[in-house]
Amino acid sequence: MDMAFIIETIVKIVVILLVFSALAGLGTYFERKVLAFMQRRLGPMHVGPFGLLQVAADGIKLFTKEDIIPQNVVKPIFKIAPVITAATAFMAAAAIPFWPQFTVFGYTVHPIVADVNIGILYVLGMMAIGLYGPLLGGMASANKFSLISAARSAAVFISYEVVSGLSLLAPLMMVGSLSLIDINNYQAGGIGNWIVWSQPVAFILFWIAAFAETGRTPFHLIANDHEIIDGFGTEYSGMRWGLFFIGEYANMFFISFVIAIIFLGGFGDGSIAGAFQLLLKVSFFFFFFLWTRAAWPDVRPDQLMWLCWKVLMPIAVINVVITGFVMMF
Amino acid sequence: MHSEPLNDRNVSEQSAYYYVDIEEYPTTGWDKFKQVVKRTFRGELFVGLWVVMREMIKFDIHTVQYPKEKLPIGPRYRAVHKLLRLWESGYERCIGCGLCEKICISDCIRMDTKIDENSRKEVTEYSINLGRCIFCGYCAEVCPELAIVHGQRYENGSEQRAHFVIKDDMLTPLDFLTSGQQAEYPGFGSITPNESVTKTPLAY
Amino acid sequence: MFEAVAFYLFATLTIIMFTITVMTSQALYALTAMAAGMIFISAFFFILGADFLGAIQIIVYTGAVMALYAFGMMFFDTTRTLVEKRSNPRLVVVLGGLAAVLVVLIVLAPIVTTNINAHYPIDPSVGNSQAIGMVLFTKYLVPFELAAVMLLVAMIAGIVLAGKKMDKSLTLMADEEIALMHASSTQNTEEGAH
Repeated sequence: MDMAFIIETIVKIVVILLVFSALAGLGTYFERKVLAFMQRRLGPMHVGPFGLLQVAADGIKLFTKEDIIPQNVVKPIFKIAPVITAATAFMAAAAIPFWPQFTVFGYTVHPIVADVNIGILYVLGMMAIGLYGPLLGGMASANKFSLISAARSAAVFISYEVVSGLSLLAPLMMVGSLSLIDINNYQAGGIGNWIVWSQPVAFILFWIAAFAETGRTPFHLIANDHEIIDGFGTEYSGMRWGLFFIGEYANMFFISFVIAIIFLGGFGDGSIAGAFQLLLKVSFFFFFFLWTRAAWPDVRPDQLMWLCWKVLMPIAVINVVITGFVMMF
Repeated sequence: MHSEPLNDRNVSEQSAYYYVDIEEYPTTGWDKFKQVVKRTFRGELFVGLWVVMREMIKFDIHTVQYPKEKLPIGPRYRAVHKLLRLWESGYERCIGCGLCEKICISDCIRMDTKIDENSRKEVTEYSINLGRCIFCGYCAEVCPELAIVHGQRYENGSEQRAHFVIKDDMLTPLDFLTSGQQAEYPGFGSITPNESVTKTPLAY
Repeated sequence: MFEAVAFYLFATLTIIMFTITVMTSQALYALTAMAAGMIFISAFFFILGADFLGAIQIIVYTGAVMALYAFGMMFFDTTRTLVEKRSNPRLVVVLGGLAAVLVVLIVLAPIVTTNINAHYPIDPSVGNSQAIGMVLFTKYLVPFELAAVMLLVAMIAGIVLAGKKMDKSLTLMADEEIALMHASSTQNTEEGAH
């Protein structure tokens, strides 16, 4: 373990943290703009040109707001819950290759913090821990809406982990590796080699599960404004609430990366063009998160559970079985 | 399409109201399965996606950026009151008759008058408590001289509650009058555009 | 050196977390500390190079088992501290101490006799998950399949137990029907008691 490796890793961690915190802020701006345009509005316009500095204004507001801890909450748990959400979101980023490797001043940089050979498993595990943010925040809040939200988040996360895991199993069987770089290299041959063509069902299932795990609109039950106020975030204020927000948006970006890398070829052969293609794919998936929020209604909790256990999970299992038979014979 | 028949709330041939044709919910497992399959593959979700995408591409924005652009308000809109001046002489139109004070149903108009050195009645104080005014428009309607009217100013942001409502604030400033910016109330009983309201002569 | 630092750090953290789990009277502290402890345990797998097991430890214990505990905790007010009834504290101390000593003895025994070596050392040529797969599906195939069948049985039993009155919907039934249903169920239990 030499010094250069440690310094490189720390630099990479800092870069990822800064870039994705900023992107999370910009994500809110894009979300407001896209939703506004789809609803014939203009969105934020007053702060800076085209409202671009709205992000900065929101950041200043969140940081300088009073941090209210209500009287009846379980204080330590209440305080660390938002940190869990943000931290697990960024920890999941450790195993995601954001860019093909490139050379700067004769030094080869791998834009992945930890190239573990179980990358995707690690990412799924970290997203599973992300459950504890809403869960503990909701249970510690001493608020019935927060408690309902916590119960829903536990149910949704546990259920949809099953779907995301089982749907990923089939492509992983084809690739034969859990490393995201191996999965990417498996599809390096071009569009024809993308896993989405051989595993369309798994692709759609994982995409649906991604909506549930990030809590985006068709499955936005965890903090459904018109039923349970802000769910687990009801009692939060200031930057603690902001951390929940950063975690949610960072999660959206990371899961977009994961979908693009596993099913849509990732950065392909590692050229610059491939890298920009990856960014394009990620932007599409991020845009789709916003798009559905404008277009689709929310489902009921019981419908969500029905969809998971009676529709998606059987399809995922059948998909795995068929893939197994095809690979055997 | 149907605007008239909407008043008729009974479901009939003439009215625009009709019973929505909702299918019976399936009871057997096989029917439920068929319904799920039909709904899944009918692609209704994509219709929704297309609708919002179409609006985004058309970019037909309906937002009014309020402080920068304002929608025109109706000519009879009843916003904060104004006291007008005579076009020729620039005197106040108000003759201090007190009818507005009398008719005001929320009792928010107060005025003080005195007889000035020309033996004319002069209004010294005139105030409207906007916190109580219900903007019914009776004062403007009852005024025999078209002196008090409702203006078009609806933005009542100010540092003090008393702003807009004391006489100096409501009365048209003289330079406004000379530059021809005093707007006439265009409603019933208003003066015709080229006719000026003249001072009531004392000689009667 | 890094391994040593990491080991002692995570060992301390794990012990602290599980101590909190046992000692606290606040259910939410116990839950959080136990979940954190499970994550810290996975760190040992990562230090030993068993990445696959580490990730599985996180997913299964923290992601699923602890989340199910949390689900169970929804039924009581977690913001209050729990007042435990200790009828015989001396017995608790004796039994707890005995259990602790036993565990220490069991863990220490192979170390003292220096009889500790890996049956299946990590093979750098194959990946972590492949190595586990090979062991699981060759030597430990029968226990593995037995465990799978046991889980399947448990799952079916769970579905049967939970799904007893699933065809009835309380929101769709009239009040009289609900009362009738309750009456018949209590009657059944009474008959069973007789």
